[in-house]
Amino acid sequence: MKKIIVLIAIFSGLFFTSSCENELDLDNPNALTVDQYWKTESDAQAGVNSIYAMFYKDGLWARWIYFRLDLTSDEGFSNSPWTELADWTRFNYINYNFWEGQVVTWRDTYKAVFRCNQVLANVPNITFQNEDDKKKIIAQAKFFRALHYYYAAILWENIPIVLTPSTPADLPEQKNVTEVFAQVEKDLNEAFADLPSSWPADQTGRPDKGAAKAFLAKVYMQQHKWTDAKTALEYLISGPGARYNLVANYRDNFTDVNENNKESVFEIQFGDQKNGGTDEGQSAAVSSNRAQFFAPRGIGWSDGQARFWLVNAFKQEKNKDGNLDTRLRYTLYYPQLQADFGDKVYGKNWEWGNDEAWFRKGSRDYYRNNEDYFSQVNYRLVRYADILLRYAEVLNELGNTQDAYQYVDLVRARVNMNTLAVAHPEIGNDHDKFLERLKTERVLELAGESVRWEDLKRWGDLNTQASVDKIALRDPDFKNFVVGKNQRLPIPQIEVENNPNLKQHDEY
Amino acid sequence: MKTKFTQILKQRYYLLFFFSLLVQQTYAQQQITISGKVASVTGEPIPFANVVIKNTKNGAVTDFDGRYKITAASNQTLIFSSQGYKTIEIAINNATTIDASLPEDATKLDEIVVVGYGSQQKKDLTGAVSLVKAEEIQKRQVTTVADGLQGLVTGVKVRGGGRPGQEANIEIRGLKNLQSTNPLYVIDGLVTSANRDFNPNDIETIQVLKDASAAAIYGSRAANGVIIITTKKGKKGPLKVEASAKSSFTSMPRYDLMGTEEFAKFNNQAYDNAGAPRQNLNMAVDTDWQDVVFQNGMINDYNVSVSGGGDNSSFFMSGNYFGNKGTVVGTDFDRISFRVNSSGSKGIFSIGENIAISNSKTDEMSGNPIIDVYRLTPTIPVYDAANPGGYGYGKQGVADTFGTNPLALADFANTINENFRIRGNIWSELKFTPWLKYRFNFGYETSFDSYNFMRKLGNWTLNQPPEKSFINQNKGRSETLLYENTLTFKKAFGKHDFTVLVGQTFQKDNYNQIYGTKRNLLVNSGTGKYYDVLDLGDSPEVGGFRNEAALTSYLGRLEYNYDNRYLINAVIRRDGSSRFSDDNKWGNFPSVSAGWRINNESFFKSEFIKDLKLRASYGELGSGNIGNYEYKSFINTFGTVVLGNGQGLYPAATQVRLSNAQLRWEKLKQTNFGLDLGVLNNDLRFTADYFVARTEDVLFGFPILLTTGNDGGNPISNAATVENKGLELELAYSKKINDFSFNASVNFTKVNNKLVSLGNGQNQNIQDNTITRAGNAVGMWYVLQTDGLFQNQAEINNYKNADGKVIMPNAQPGDIRFKDVNGDGQITNEDKDIVGSPWPEFEMGLNAGAEYKGFDFSMNWIASHGATVYNGFRSVVDRFDDNSNYRRGIQPWTPENPNTDFPRIVKGTTLNSRGDTDRFLESGDFIRLKYIGLGYNIPDSVLKSAGISRARLTLSAQNVITISKYKGLDPEFSNPNIFQRGVDNGAFPNLQTYSFGVEFSF
Repeated sequence: MKKIIVLIAIFSGLFFTSSCENELDLDNPNALTVDQYWKTESDAQAGVNSIYAMFYKDGLWARWIYFRLDLTSDEGFSNSPWTELADWTRFNYINYNFWEGQVVTWRDTYKAVFRCNQVLANVPNITFQNEDDKKKIIAQAKFFRALHYYYAAILWENIPIVLTPSTPADLPEQKNVTEVFAQVEKDLNEAFADLPSSWPADQTGRPDKGAAKAFLAKVYMQQHKWTDAKTALEYLISGPGARYNLVANYRDNFTDVNENNKESVFEIQFGDQKNGGTDEGQSAAVSSNRAQFFAPRGIGWSDGQARFWLVNAFKQEKNKDGNLDTRLRYTLYYPQLQADFGDKVYGKNWEWGNDEAWFRKGSRDYYRNNEDYFSQVNYRLVRYADILLRYAEVLNELGNTQDAYQYVDLVRARVNMNTLAVAHPEIGNDHDKFLERLKTERVLELAGESVRWEDLKRWGDLNTQASVDKIALRDPDFKNFVVGKNQRLPIPQIEVENNPNLKQHDEY
Repeated sequence: MKTKFTQILKQRYYLLFFFSLLVQQTYAQQQITISGKVASVTGEPIPFANVVIKNTKNGAVTDFDGRYKITAASNQTLIFSSQGYKTIEIAINNATTIDASLPEDATKLDEIVVVGYGSQQKKDLTGAVSLVKAEEIQKRQVTTVADGLQGLVTGVKVRGGGRPGQEANIEIRGLKNLQSTNPLYVIDGLVTSANRDFNPNDIETIQVLKDASAAAIYGSRAANGVIIITTKKGKKGPLKVEASAKSSFTSMPRYDLMGTEEFAKFNNQAYDNAGAPRQNLNMAVDTDWQDVVFQNGMINDYNVSVSGGGDNSSFFMSGNYFGNKGTVVGTDFDRISFRVNSSGSKGIFSIGENIAISNSKTDEMSGNPIIDVYRLTPTIPVYDAANPGGYGYGKQGVADTFGTNPLALADFANTINENFRIRGNIWSELKFTPWLKYRFNFGYETSFDSYNFMRKLGNWTLNQPPEKSFINQNKGRSETLLYENTLTFKKAFGKHDFTVLVGQTFQKDNYNQIYGTKRNLLVNSGTGKYYDVLDLGDSPEVGGFRNEAALTSYLGRLEYNYDNRYLINAVIRRDGSSRFSDDNKWGNFPSVSAGWRINNESFFKSEFIKDLKLRASYGELGSGNIGNYEYKSFINTFGTVVLGNGQGLYPAATQVRLSNAQLRWEKLKQTNFGLDLGVLNNDLRFTADYFVARTEDVLFGFPILLTTGNDGGNPISNAATVENKGLELELAYSKKINDFSFNASVNFTKVNNKLVSLGNGQNQNIQDNTITRAGNAVGMWYVLQTDGLFQNQAEINNYKNADGKVIMPNAQPGDIRFKDVNGDGQITNEDKDIVGSPWPEFEMGLNAGAEYKGFDFSMNWIASHGATVYNGFRSVVDRFDDNSNYRRGIQPWTPENPNTDFPRIVKGTTLNSRGDTDRFLESGDFIRLKYIGLGYNIPDSVLKSAGISRARLTLSAQNVITISKYKGLDPEFSNPNIFQRGVDNGAFPNLQTYSFGVEFSF
């Protein structure tokens, strides 16, 4: 009996040693929780930095947004063997849930907005040594929220606006495009107040006051608010922010040898230090894939090509020395590139079609013969040449065509072209003729720089069948364009189905 | 006078003497000694069998060789019996040598069933438990236990494939949640998985617990059912050695694809119809990609076991080698395993251990050659020196395809996995009294995993961007510790028989991994060998992580048996898990079941019905197969951004993934009604079960709106409700007539699955071509519907909706006509509709076997009816908008050939090439001969001289007959995605296997 009692005692002991209910509270040894974060200045700094990381994701400025802006416009097209991908550049929208077509861009836009909202909600509660630093961080978040909503409004028009950090069950309401632009203006104006005029050298790439004004100009101009746009642009041209100039070498805007130069107003910083993909892992890339997707067949995926009418547009007018516009050389790969300028295509002779062309801006052919997914060439989202041409447009719209000439001439002079008055005396002070000429000037200067789609929308060229037909002469994809429908993308169907506050555009 | 009396007296004396003699005859008529051997029908001697003289208590026991000696009267009868065998009687009839051959007891009513923390006799079961004979699994050549269970158990659906190292998926009684269908495996009391590291030859018993009452003892993890496996233990007697060797040839089913000549004809036609210039096809090349990639495979399975024991101890050791050279180039699987099970007892104390060590190595399949063989065209050569790496693939304008060359992929991107695992437990028991027992069990499992991936220089597809060579290696270690204390009380008070169990368990799982990557590997330029050590190369990347989880439980069970007529079983289990937030950690899981043995009732008098039992049960089980930290929100600190004139890297951190803090257990409520019937002396047995299983608060990461900016996986929430109802029937017959014995069984399973509601305000979820909508089964087909072909322009012009609008104005003759389901006059995504279900209406199994003298035969058939499946193969090769090879003998529509159902072929996007239509949905019905085998036991006479006690030769084949209209490789394909179970997108098929084996016992 004694034995039994002893044994019971021993085993009861074991009983209790192995029942540890505290063991059920396990912390994740791999990451901090949200409650444990947003406490220090460096938390805030890392938090706002993460917004910049969205530029490296494939839905946005690493890859697919170029398809929506450059290839859908009349500057580009796609002949990709991936038929659905190509269809989405010619208004053939069959499956509104096509991931690479638009859904990933939609998702990444709101992912960026979520990061901005996290900063805006959490950083105000952190104590800073210097309040200005806190304001700068908040201002950056507002700037980027405005930037992403701006492009989303250009693409889809009536989208939901999310201004607070998300929870899983959120069902945000759809807003009209005018309300979206209003939110963009508000964020940019508030950001402008607290952003610095310039950043120290080791922070280059962050938006400054000038960048905020530049985007304000863009959003005002899209809404035809010419006076407001004029004020915004003047900050950069003649106001306190006037520190820009055109670089002598046109190509310096498209390579990595002279990045963040004096012409740069807002530039997306890319690097090649990381070898991973567009995920959120520790080796996630910090690069652009655009060149890989836009390089000619056999060199890259060749999913995007340039329309041949661009070549002809460049060849309409010679420069002061009687030679071809040097901008043609650095904008396009085309059959006579070697004959005209002596350049091969990534070291190869022309082996493609007689009427084919590819975008050259952003390529790294100046030191290598191929592309990959890790291009470090920064993308100049806004540069001073764009500002100057916009100012000319605004002045023309406000009835001051005469004053507009000088700004166009600055841009032309950089590449040794004659002044407008000399080359095109027939324009005179005619608003319409000036605008027509300005459209061409913008093409010659900014082809392939993702401004054409908003330009066409702004000019109303997508609003009438007559003007669409004219575009179709240059870009046959526009034969599929349905006026009143295809100037905006369909809302991703899966969002419409799962959000009762979101409706598909009627015409879709 | 004296003489007469004496004479009478003498007469009586003689009578007396006569009677006494008679009497003596009756009591000890003629005592003879009988000896003989008791063996099974297969000739195996049965030691310790009982030989009893009928109507007496006298008897003997056979020795180690099955021999006995007994003294009895020659007019008596001997009764031979042994556990697991049928009892037979043989009259002595003056014979001095009587050998008994005992047939196996197929009905096994007295068989012990392991039910978790204890065991019950089969006749006392109140829940739905199925027993599987270990030999049924071991006779097949399988990698895992799951592979061998197809068609053997009602309510259990298994789908697997023949890739080396592939593990089959088991689904018990339908889909009860939206995470996975994996049941819980318990091996010798340790909660683990019977994955490809486990040697099926070691199985002694295997039982499947299907309903709530049977599984409730495992509470929170048992909602998908429990499979309990016990491994072989030694038996008392001299050393017993068993060895077996089996070799199998496996062969791959093939597609019927075109050769270059036929391919060129159709490819050109497609380009012509699109108005596009023809490709410059290389007509000199005619590659049969299936010949290049597929080969005959070979499986070898060698097993040796040694066992024995004494009065108070036993041991069992086994060693096994399993090698599978795959049917796809560059794949194979090897496993070596070793097991020791031993136990001993002294007085009230007993102790034992079961431990298995295994090492397995897999050369994994790179990419998916099953798809590549039809994506590549026959005009592409296997090797092409012009390509980096030297392999052939697509070329723009010549063979425009992004298909990948499988040989190149296997060469340049190869993965090797190696796994060393120790799995086992130590237990000790204290029997305080004959009716009170305490048991302590410590279970331990640890696995050392090694993953090795090498990317060599070289391309495998068109336009591939150049990539530096790199290696990625990781080493992980997982560990599970299990502590269990249980106290069992078992006593009968008259007709009341109680068994009470109380217990407490604690389980801790942890996993940690470190990994490293290096690029630009060193290559020996002479031999081409790549150096794969992390010391060499540049651009290092390292990382590591840890995962932990813990589970604490308290359990209790009561089994009450009144007079062998009324059976009641009640279980309660309380589990707490670290996976849920503080408020939601604990769950209680009760269940109750009852059984009524009608045949034991006094009012039941039927000679025909031997056994009749009714069962009913209700229970609540939990499940929670989610990650270890799902309810918390984390900050991702991996990000970096480029800033500054120096383009340097700066850290970034943000929340990437949203989560739900209020995660809790899923609750499964299951009701089961069952009937067990045995007639004809239990030769014919019938079992029926009807169940309703409803799971609430189902955990799932439904896609949330993209406007939340969520990434990294959908946040999990408890929202959905899923219901499964089903009917299981089984009919089994066995009979022995002299030397011939025969058994057959048929089983039938019907499961109806329904998603009752999704929760979270959503009413449907669409994934590719499937829709999961409230009120329907999970994963219904949601596609456009076709309605024949347009034969001419008039038909196109006349195809209008109710408003007179021409529905498909851009169509041409030969194009598919689609149904305008919503009547709006155009074909859009709005015209998609639910058109079918991937769930079978019912599945059946037919198993039969026979034995005669030394020969035995068995076969297993399975059948499935009612499922609609999506033929991914046809959805690629029948489309023509992307280049690929095509099916041999297709007859596309042309003006000269209008009588066909294959539309006009065009290289381009037309509605003809859409994959989300019912054109690619096919019937998934099939009947398959899963296994057929013949065995021969070499007679004793031959073996005696060699000292071998048993030798058996086997010849068998698996998957050799398939009756099905399905045009893909295998209608029994496996798709582990629970929403897309019916999609065959390059699933690795089950292989035809031909095996030859020998077994020896010494």
